[in-house]
Amino acid sequence: MKQILLITDGCSNVGMSPIVAAAHAKAEGINVNVVGVLDQGDVGELGAAEIEEIARAGGGLSRMVNMRQLSQTVQMMTRKTVVQTIQLAVQKELKHVLGNGSIEALPPEKRGEVVRVIDELGETSGLQVALLIDASASMKPKLAAVEEAIRDLMLSLQARQGKSEIAVFHFPGTRHGDDCIMDLAWTSHLNGVHSIFPKLQMGGTTPTGPAIMHVVEFYRQGQGQGSVHDYGAMGDYGRRGRQETDGMMGDYVV
Amino acid sequence: MTTSFKLELRRGSVVVGKWKLGRYRVERLLGEGANGKVYLVQRDREWLAMKVGADAVDLQSEINVMKSLDKQKSHGAEPFLYDVDDLYGPDGREYSFYIMRYVRGTTLASYLKEQGAEWFPLVGLNLLGKLAKLHRAGWVFGDLKVENVMVADYGHVELVDYGGVTAVGKSIRQFTEIYDRGYWNSGPRSADPKYDLFSFAVLCIQLHEPKRLHALTKELLPQNRSMDELMEIAQGSAALKPVLGWLRRAMAGEFANASEGAEAWRVLLHRRETRRSASIPGWLKGLAATSGLLLAASIFWLVINIFL
Repeated sequence: MKQILLITDGCSNVGMSPIVAAAHAKAEGINVNVVGVLDQGDVGELGAAEIEEIARAGGGLSRMVNMRQLSQTVQMMTRKTVVQTIQLAVQKELKHVLGNGSIEALPPEKRGEVVRVIDELGETSGLQVALLIDASASMKPKLAAVEEAIRDLMLSLQARQGKSEIAVFHFPGTRHGDDCIMDLAWTSHLNGVHSIFPKLQMGGTTPTGPAIMHVVEFYRQGQGQGSVHDYGAMGDYGRRGRQETDGMMGDYVV
Repeated sequence: MTTSFKLELRRGSVVVGKWKLGRYRVERLLGEGANGKVYLVQRDREWLAMKVGADAVDLQSEINVMKSLDKQKSHGAEPFLYDVDDLYGPDGREYSFYIMRYVRGTTLASYLKEQGAEWFPLVGLNLLGKLAKLHRAGWVFGDLKVENVMVADYGHVELVDYGGVTAVGKSIRQFTEIYDRGYWNSGPRSADPKYDLFSFAVLCIQLHEPKRLHALTKELLPQNRSMDELMEIAQGSAALKPVLGWLRRAMAGEFANASEGAEAWRVLLHRRETRRSASIPGWLKGLAATSGLLLAASIFWLVINIFL
């Protein structure tokens, strides 16, 4: 299972439409979840509408939360999306067998067994979550909460029985006009990772759409290299890359 | 994360199950959980609780847990589940529901407020007993918190909301941050009996020092959350003094399960300091002293009158 989790606080303003990009992700079998982080004010009507639509196009969920709820929301969204992804796959199978794919259409006694299978698969299937963080200027005071949410998500994923990994990206990349920069390659533990966002220079435009495409491309390349089932090597590569650049990830782009 | 669950059942309305045609008259809303609403309903003069879920799959996995709990129960024990069915909401949509036994009682916090803090050691023991039963059957309660513990007369305890109940070894299905071992950097978020004991320890602190616990979660940086910080709050509470050692052991994972925890708790319970610190109000002590004096005086008077 593949997910992109976008954490943002406003509207995209440059490059391709993030809604189109999210639809691309969905076409590649990647669900896109979006969390809109509010502080005191609001993300604005426009921002809220965009956040909702990105998630809808990406086959995921969207939520507006304040910083205190961020960890809990990220964790629950990821969990819910896992169940939904498996539910969809199971419903497809049911449709073959029964002609009707909806679990609700089953009588309560039969539903139990189907849901037991969904729960079991949800706990044991492999899962990858690519976190995509909006690092525009207004997000600066929220980055500590974002980093905490990432650590908290890792904690939840580690408790799963299936293999679980996360990768972290942020946008915009401030150097060389990059849309998006990888901060952390696939990893299944954050022990020893002191800071996920080393000395971020925040600001610039908000190329949400191009950034989503960048992560989709990252997923595709992972597949192209035939490393879908073994992300360990790739994770090592990412870590080495980070050490070489002395904590600065600015130059390391997949 | 709140789900957009807008179903409202009016008092007096009758719910008819879609599949089994069971009829239930809605009395009132009992509570709202993470994934549904619980109503008090009546069937043939019997009071029952009805949980309506926002999501059929979500609710069904909770039902699955309760079913296996029912299967593991000894004969004669009251079942959890009475009925499982779907209903048509006033909005025309279908919702899943299940009927369970109605637990009469008040929440843990209000029980102690009304009946007095001296009930705390016994209620704690009873709660550990409930957890021990789950642990013996291979389950972890998961979302243990003040709101999920109901207390009836004489400290009788019932757990409500089985949405977090998880088979040992799997990832905890539902939890609340401040009760979560992982949140306090004190262990994994996977289901083992020690997970519940950690939450139990936080619950004790939450009962006696809710304001300080809340303040702590606000001021601490995430990386500095630890059981030592929790212990510091506990040490500042007079009521928790007798159980300090127990709390530390529970949080450190020294009890293998709730049975072990309950055994150690029981030993504390019958120690004299524990009983004494269950604060007897000053006026009551005064009263005892006065009645003692009165008694002595009356006996003296009797003795004088009868024998002299």
